[in-house]
Amino acid sequence: MASIIVAEQLTKWYGSRLAVDRVSLEVRAGEVLGLLGPNGSGKTTILRILTGYLHPSSGTVRIAGLDTVHDALAVKRLVGYVPENAPLYDGMRVREFLGLMARLKGVAGSDVATCVDQVHVRLDLEQVAGRQIGTLSKGFRQRVAIAQALLGTPDILVLDEPGNGLDPRQTIELRDLIRSLSGAFTVVVSSHILSEIERVADRAAILVAGHLLAIHPLRGVEVRRRLRVEVRGDADRVRSHLAQVHGVGAVIAARPSGHDTSVYLLDVDGPGLAERVAAALVDAGFGLIELRDESIDLETLFLGLTGGKPPRSAAA
Amino acid sequence: MKRFVALLGKEHRAVFSSPIAYSLITVFLLLMGYTFTSILFVNKVASLAHIFFQMSALFLLMVPIMSMRLVAEERKTGTLEVLLTAPVREIEVILAKFVASMTLVAVMLALSVSYPVVLAVYGRPDWGPVYSGYLGLLLFAGALLAVGLVVSSLTSNQIVAAVISLGIFFLLWMIDSVGYLLPEPFDTISVNLSLLAHFSPFALGSVFLSDVGFFFSVILVGLLLSVRALARR
Repeated sequence: MASIIVAEQLTKWYGSRLAVDRVSLEVRAGEVLGLLGPNGSGKTTILRILTGYLHPSSGTVRIAGLDTVHDALAVKRLVGYVPENAPLYDGMRVREFLGLMARLKGVAGSDVATCVDQVHVRLDLEQVAGRQIGTLSKGFRQRVAIAQALLGTPDILVLDEPGNGLDPRQTIELRDLIRSLSGAFTVVVSSHILSEIERVADRAAILVAGHLLAIHPLRGVEVRRRLRVEVRGDADRVRSHLAQVHGVGAVIAARPSGHDTSVYLLDVDGPGLAERVAAALVDAGFGLIELRDESIDLETLFLGLTGGKPPRSAAA
Repeated sequence: MKRFVALLGKEHRAVFSSPIAYSLITVFLLLMGYTFTSILFVNKVASLAHIFFQMSALFLLMVPIMSMRLVAEERKTGTLEVLLTAPVREIEVILAKFVASMTLVAVMLALSVSYPVVLAVYGRPDWGPVYSGYLGLLLFAGALLAVGLVVSSLTSNQIVAAVISLGIFFLLWMIDSVGYLLPEPFDTISVNLSLLAHFSPFALGSVFLSDVGFFFSVILVGLLLSVRALARR
């Protein structure tokens, strides 16, 4: 799949403080990329640079081949942005605000009402269309903010901490909404809550102190599962048998665990391989001592990368 | 252009849906009405020169209240981020804010037209100084608004924006009075920077191109600096 966002060596200084340090990442068209990191890790700065609101101190971001600094207006037409805490004009009514944003995003005058009606329906805002934004609940404010981002049919949606301050029901609705947008839009979403990213994103980029530590696949063909299997028998024969099991990608580690037993780590293509591996080993006459799923989840990876420190809010 | 019209509509709504605009208009008309009546009864002369000076002094106090929220409020509430991540240019945002604020000034001045009408009913005013006075007030208020807009673009605190604007306005108002104490060429520079020195001819019925140029220059520089301040991210 082609990359629609390409950031190279992105660096941002605020005075003498380094907020983002040489971050390079690519986002593929139609995927949901989650930026995960504790507060102050540079997530918002990266998102602001992607939207053209901030200019990087060095490095480049290209959105659909356009530079966010030199082609700022064209980039802004491709990106719908929901800033953190959904800042909106509280004195305006929902319909009026969305009408204004549609005009600013270049929707033709005759199409403004239709476009606004469409986002009202999509985000279930009809019941509050005539209400003043300042009187809306946090959940509805967030929906209005997402609605304005969807106007003008952008290719990319950028959402900065969209789950902040939402109650559990609103959080679930938001999660479903973001998942429903994937495919039709490329979505970049940030959060300091690990479980939120795990549930909505296809891949998670882990940021700490302005550094991109890893990009971890959460869905799709890249997700590798791993099995740990302890077997009694000749190590070379066991290894050769395991490699022949359909669906086993590689036997990536083997170490003796006893007199005639060894532990093997297997890269496998998906779920359901455990039964096949167990059957193959037993049929070949090896002693199967233990077999368990050793897939690396996001939390394990995060804790490993950050030296055992979970994100602040996730830990709370 | 369509985007500018949309932005202008938003700014007009922000100005005229706020009680601040109506408070300013009310106070302006009450104070000027009182001054107009008092001066007319004492002098019994069909002239507005005193009123124009009074209006300019009142603008020194009122324009910071108009301009303080223009950008600072949007920066504080975060709506500036929503606005500037939409496909709009900084200059469109600044111009819309400036034009909307000038509309408020124009409304205040339009409502004060009742004073020359009264003079025309009961006397024979010289219309030249009346026209030049209103032109001078428009240019004067425009210059103040442009400077206020720069200050508002540099901070997210409205009170700070108002206080700094007020300080700059008073400094520019009376800079010529201390200018004479300065050595050359600073004396000439300071006298030429004086708002009062450039406004006085308008109030007295003279329109000099240099004064018009001065106010236009201040407005242009103010708007350009505001755009720069907004683009500096």
